[in-house]
Amino acid sequence: MKLSSDKSLKGRGSDRKTIWRDMVRCRWLYFLLIPAIIYFFIFKYIPIYGLRIAFMDYNQYAPEKSIWVGVDQFIKLFTKKSFIPVLWNTIKISLLKLLCGFPVPIILALMMNEIKSVKFKKISQTLLYLPHFISWAIMAGIIMTLLDPTNGLITGIIQKITGQSVMVLTDTKWFVPMLIVTDIYKGMGWGTIVYFAAISGVDPQLYEAVAIDGAGKWKQAIHITLPGIMPSIIVMFIMNCGNILNAGFEQIFMLYSAQVYSVADIIDTYVYRIGIVQSDYSFSTAAGMFKSVVAFILILVVNSIAKKTGNEGII
Amino acid sequence: MAGKTEVKIIPKSNRIKRSKAEWLFAIFNYLFFIFVTLMVVYPFWHVIMTSLSSVEATAKGGIFLWPKGFNLDTYGKVFKNAQIWSGYFTTIIVTLTGTALGTLFTATTAYALSKKRLPFGGILMLLVLFTMIFNGGMIPNYLLIKNLNLLNTRWALILPGLVSAYNVIIMKSFFQSIPDSLEESARIDGANDVIIFIKIAIPLSKATVAVIALFTAVGYWNDFFSTVLYINDSTKWALQAVLRYMLTNTNQAMQAAGVSVISASNVTAATIKSASVVVATVPILIVYPFLQKYFVQGVMVGGVKG
Repeated sequence: MKLSSDKSLKGRGSDRKTIWRDMVRCRWLYFLLIPAIIYFFIFKYIPIYGLRIAFMDYNQYAPEKSIWVGVDQFIKLFTKKSFIPVLWNTIKISLLKLLCGFPVPIILALMMNEIKSVKFKKISQTLLYLPHFISWAIMAGIIMTLLDPTNGLITGIIQKITGQSVMVLTDTKWFVPMLIVTDIYKGMGWGTIVYFAAISGVDPQLYEAVAIDGAGKWKQAIHITLPGIMPSIIVMFIMNCGNILNAGFEQIFMLYSAQVYSVADIIDTYVYRIGIVQSDYSFSTAAGMFKSVVAFILILVVNSIAKKTGNEGII
Repeated sequence: MAGKTEVKIIPKSNRIKRSKAEWLFAIFNYLFFIFVTLMVVYPFWHVIMTSLSSVEATAKGGIFLWPKGFNLDTYGKVFKNAQIWSGYFTTIIVTLTGTALGTLFTATTAYALSKKRLPFGGILMLLVLFTMIFNGGMIPNYLLIKNLNLLNTRWALILPGLVSAYNVIIMKSFFQSIPDSLEESARIDGANDVIIFIKIAIPLSKATVAVIALFTAVGYWNDFFSTVLYINDSTKWALQAVLRYMLTNTNQAMQAAGVSVISASNVTAATIKSASVVVATVPILIVYPFLQKYFVQGVMVGGVKG
């Protein structure tokens, strides 16, 4: 999305009267903007201003008595033993999700593209998209039922195969793989839509050209479809990279427990427990702000890489 | 559900005769998608079947395709839990109010910002976009709601997520595609921007407005964390939060609701958990097939390019 810098405005120079007259002419448009201005100011920009408490020792009973402490909270963040593992967990979980989950919708879309029956395609797609619309609260309920240590279906199957009873949700070895599998389960169908759109944009003449040369379906997919959707793949990959500190808050929050904190505690869950549960506002805001700032920088970097490689950026 | 999907292979390829390998691939491909689709649907099926089974059968495990010891007692117990109903009430109120206000404000914002002649429109759009890539995060948002005295009110579930920058972008690009000439004639007749917005822009963009409304509604319906952050009073919890409480503290939840749970056993909990999941999922399962295509359209409109 490119922003049109207001060239017409600059062109007219600094003629204040003209601008004023234009603004009066557009008064009804400004009227339409009133709710948005109030909303974005209060609910988006005041919280950004609220980040200043990361540089304070916030006194929740008398906020005006809070004292400025500079970057002390951030020093505490990186010297405190509890935060570094949390940061690693966050990066590890989201990288694993990216690595395992990213190719799945691409493969599904390429394969689905070879399905000729429109009816079959439609029914299959409708059902594959479904988990995307189901909240993590419901998903967690389903996962808990299937993985129930005493009578869950999947734990039963694992038990039959390995001969051991496993408690997936409380076992540090199993918890992260479970997160990755359920994340793929929820997102893979919906993820294909973007690639379907890209596939439908590939010039059909290209297929005919290589078909005449005797290229089979497989070669067509590899030499025509895949390169054709490569720009979409790159954009999606970039967007995912910008999201690296979001390891899936709701999913983990719904499923984790104290037994698996050592592998599953991520920045967001950490901020929640320290901030909301223990009311250490300044310290948890510093942790949250670290995440926001890193994410912001990542998005800008990744976006400029996209533009340099000749792709459309996301901003 | 997925049983209807029969394997249909179109006998004649209209272009080039398929080789044997291609036939094999086509068959494999259909089987593969039947398998994947069943895998995706099955967990829902399993939960429904568990919720319909008797407590004793659930204890033994092994519920696979059909309920064992079919009965509806579990639902009787779940429906007696007043919390489920208050959860539904809150979620419906929040979803309706939030969707109505959110969609309206998204449209007004996008319409005004879609006009190139608006002075400072570019800067305002930049300010909207900025909120998409940088935000205050959990704690400052919590303190804001606290300072506004909105903790423990349903407004705390509605207001923070009212307008999303992403939806503004989608609507704005749609409004920009409306030819100016349509508005010019109304302007000559003396209509101002608000009247043009209501009488011309909105009727032309019904489909896009509907898509935005749907996405907003799903967001509110599935929202769980706002309740965790802002609402202590359990009579004002949203459905998703009630569900989570039922899942993690099943027995307490039922006993608090005055439903005696036999010896508070783990097994009773299993059927009650599944029934709660089903009760919370059914509305989505009912409307989803009808709305699915609009969601897909919405993503197409938004596109990868944003």
